[in-house]
Amino acid sequence: MQVFLQTFIGGMSLGAIYALVALGFSLVFRTMGLVNFSHGNVVMIGAYLASTFYLSTKLPFALAMALAIGGTGLIGVIIERVLRPLENKDFDLMLIGTIGFGIVLEAVAIIIWGATGNAVPNPVPTGPLEVLGLRIRTYDLVVLAIAAAAAVLLVFFLQSTKRGAAMQAVAMDHEAATAVGIHVGRSNAIAFMLGAGLAALAGGLVGPLLYVNPTMGGALGIKGFAAAILGGFGSIPGAIVGGFAIGVLDAFTAGHFQGYSELVTFLVFTVIIMIRPTGIFGERTVNRA
Amino acid sequence: MKLRVAGIGVLAVLAWLLPYQLDSYLIHVANVVILFAILAIGLGLVMGIAGQINLAQVALFGVASYATAILTTRAGFGFWTAAALAMLIVAAIGLLIGTPALRMQSHYLGIVTLGLALALTNWVTNAHIAGGAEGITGIPAPTLPGIDLRNDYFFYYLELVVFALALAFGLFVVRTPLGRKMRAMRDDSLAAGAVGVEVPQLRMTAFFLASLYGGVAGVLYAGLIRYVAPETFSIANMFLLLAMVIIGGRQSLVGCVVGAVALSLLREVLVDYPTYAQVAYGTIVVLTVVFAPTGLAGLPVRARGLLQRLGWLRRDTGAPPKLGDFRPYDAVERPAEQVILRIDDVSMHFRGLKALQEVTMEISTGEIRGIVGPNGSGKTTLFNVVSGLYRPTSGRVWLGEQDMTAARPHTLARAGIARTFQNLRLFPLLTVRENLLVALDQTSVLGSWRYALWQPGVWRQDRALRRQADELLDRFGLTAFADAAPGELPYGTQRRVEIARAMARSPRLLLLDEPAAGLNGEEVRQLSEIVRSIRAAGVTVVLIEHNMGLVMSLCERVTVFASGRVIADGTPAEVARAPQVVEAYLGDSAMSSDVPVATATEAA
Repeated sequence: MQVFLQTFIGGMSLGAIYALVALGFSLVFRTMGLVNFSHGNVVMIGAYLASTFYLSTKLPFALAMALAIGGTGLIGVIIERVLRPLENKDFDLMLIGTIGFGIVLEAVAIIIWGATGNAVPNPVPTGPLEVLGLRIRTYDLVVLAIAAAAAVLLVFFLQSTKRGAAMQAVAMDHEAATAVGIHVGRSNAIAFMLGAGLAALAGGLVGPLLYVNPTMGGALGIKGFAAAILGGFGSIPGAIVGGFAIGVLDAFTAGHFQGYSELVTFLVFTVIIMIRPTGIFGERTVNRA
Repeated sequence: MKLRVAGIGVLAVLAWLLPYQLDSYLIHVANVVILFAILAIGLGLVMGIAGQINLAQVALFGVASYATAILTTRAGFGFWTAAALAMLIVAAIGLLIGTPALRMQSHYLGIVTLGLALALTNWVTNAHIAGGAEGITGIPAPTLPGIDLRNDYFFYYLELVVFALALAFGLFVVRTPLGRKMRAMRDDSLAAGAVGVEVPQLRMTAFFLASLYGGVAGVLYAGLIRYVAPETFSIANMFLLLAMVIIGGRQSLVGCVVGAVALSLLREVLVDYPTYAQVAYGTIVVLTVVFAPTGLAGLPVRARGLLQRLGWLRRDTGAPPKLGDFRPYDAVERPAEQVILRIDDVSMHFRGLKALQEVTMEISTGEIRGIVGPNGSGKTTLFNVVSGLYRPTSGRVWLGEQDMTAARPHTLARAGIARTFQNLRLFPLLTVRENLLVALDQTSVLGSWRYALWQPGVWRQDRALRRQADELLDRFGLTAFADAAPGELPYGTQRRVEIARAMARSPRLLLLDEPAAGLNGEEVRQLSEIVRSIRAAGVTVVLIEHNMGLVMSLCERVTVFASGRVIADGTPAEVARAPQVVEAYLGDSAMSSDVPVATATEAA
């Protein structure tokens, strides 16, 4: 039981990261029906930016993070602008276009920061807490708190601001949204920017947990994506639940199958998604003839 | 045609003479390029032709090389025995990776295949039998009598022959019934199902074909390099392969090959700057999808269009082709009246929305039945239930004596139900003739074994189908448009193509969803003539229509829908007088006067 709970808690902090990545995926998907395959690479760029600002310029961690969010937000806007001609036309092509961006981002990261990674020291250097015999790292709590705050802010933005409402409208029917005077392109750009910002947040937070290197985007992106699908693609609560589910699944497979953990994680994911393609909170889409 | 044969001949001679110009390093490069070209054909088939996103193509390649390596070094098989077994293994894994395609498409399929590819890489980097991160060395060279395949120059010729066969087979598939069905499924899987294409089996066939190409390339790779390691099959190489296919033009196999060669050469030129090469091809991918989605293969057509716009190339300014007359079917004796379609207490709910509520109706052979009702009254939902696109929430659908409630669209199409769609669903990237050919083809996907064993049979079948298609085109007056893309045709002509496509299956029951929408008066008159002739040929017709003039003149019986229920049923004259019908269409004055009263009570 002790081991079970310890593993569970260990999975929670990475789960929160996956949830943030999944939120970014879902936000872009629900607004423009596009899966951003470069999202994982944006996470990686965010991790690098945050760690660079934090380590080399000795900025406070929070400020370094804010700068990183701004930087990736810009990347998000650029990606959206370049691919805008394809919006609402050919999603498979757009998907491949984002893969192209991912390839470029990874190469650019290697050019700037080199192929080897660097470790980021823990910004909250206090010892782990002991609760009921379980060890909880303080940094894990920080990660969970920031992720929760980001999720709450996102939901607030979508439900209680005019911009957010406009984005919801575009998500439901982009033609009708245009008809009532919403600038769909701009709305999509904001979605992309927010998604990229969330990616940087995830990247910055994951830096001290993992090793920051140019290929980290692959695994993080795919697991974040898996989390989004598992929860129900496009659903905000789904992304959060899916993130934690993948994080915990990851922790358990790592404990039980060591090196084979990825194999097991993806097999389990595939089986679940075969049984329920719409995910936990997903809506069934109906073919209209 | 002669030009094309000459071109192929010149290319073949050049490819044959190429090794004489290359040093030992470059011949090795050429050998690797050919392997990528074979892989690219496989990816082009599954992604460009069949429309299934497969991000595990390089993983399949890896499965075959690893299987060959393990079977030769660990189990002691000879190279060719191991290769044959490796092909079986890779085919099985290919089908496994393709299984999710039965349940999901597009980006979902992308992520699942990518995840499975990662799972495979994860396995080989950890498994003891696969040599872990170091991989497996010492794979024996393949042997052929009289040829030393340890020599890269001789290996080049082996690869060249295999490549030529692989490309020829790929092109053969694309141009014959199997590939045509795949392209139809890619363009519109719903419509493909409705004309009898067995979509699930076809998706699996696409993955099977892709795995064969991956397998051939993998086996050759094991024989060429004689060493396998996990990084060769990484996601980075998968994306490189994807870039090749996109840049070359995914819908053309030759384009895929060109893309593979071009990107490989680019990579070779920038071999000392691999990161910059990566920036370059990533950028080209982005530019390609935005500015030239058809890739290099589509450039000739686009260049032609550009030259025509600039006025440098003359457009062919012949008279625009004209829609011919419809040649009526031979009338048959009207069959004894019996129920052909029975809808028994069918309800269809979408969450809270009750699109159909306890609908019961019967349609007899030889009838022309009209279904009318206000928008949103459930008419098209009924068609979707009958043609198998929706599974009803409750109730049964009987075709003759057969219960067809849970049947798949293609099963229903094969049982004799054909339909058209309200918003036209022709296959946009197929020509008009090909649209009909897809529907004419009655063979099952399982019959595709002939592609492996008896290609002349396939060829003959294709010729027969083309004759039938020409006959059908002629009957519907569409001969002049045979080679046009459906999107270029006037709207009314597209509607007629869709009816011709539905009739291609020689159905027993034809469902027409608003066939007169968007037609002018003359076209409506032709339509009514066509529908009458179809009925006279022994086909039962059900049509949804808002054009009351057409319904009144054409149909013997009319069923009226409102809010998902049948509210009236009878001859056109009876139905038109029924008070509930008048109410559904025009509203009821007594009821509308109720409304303010209700508000008043509420306010009080």
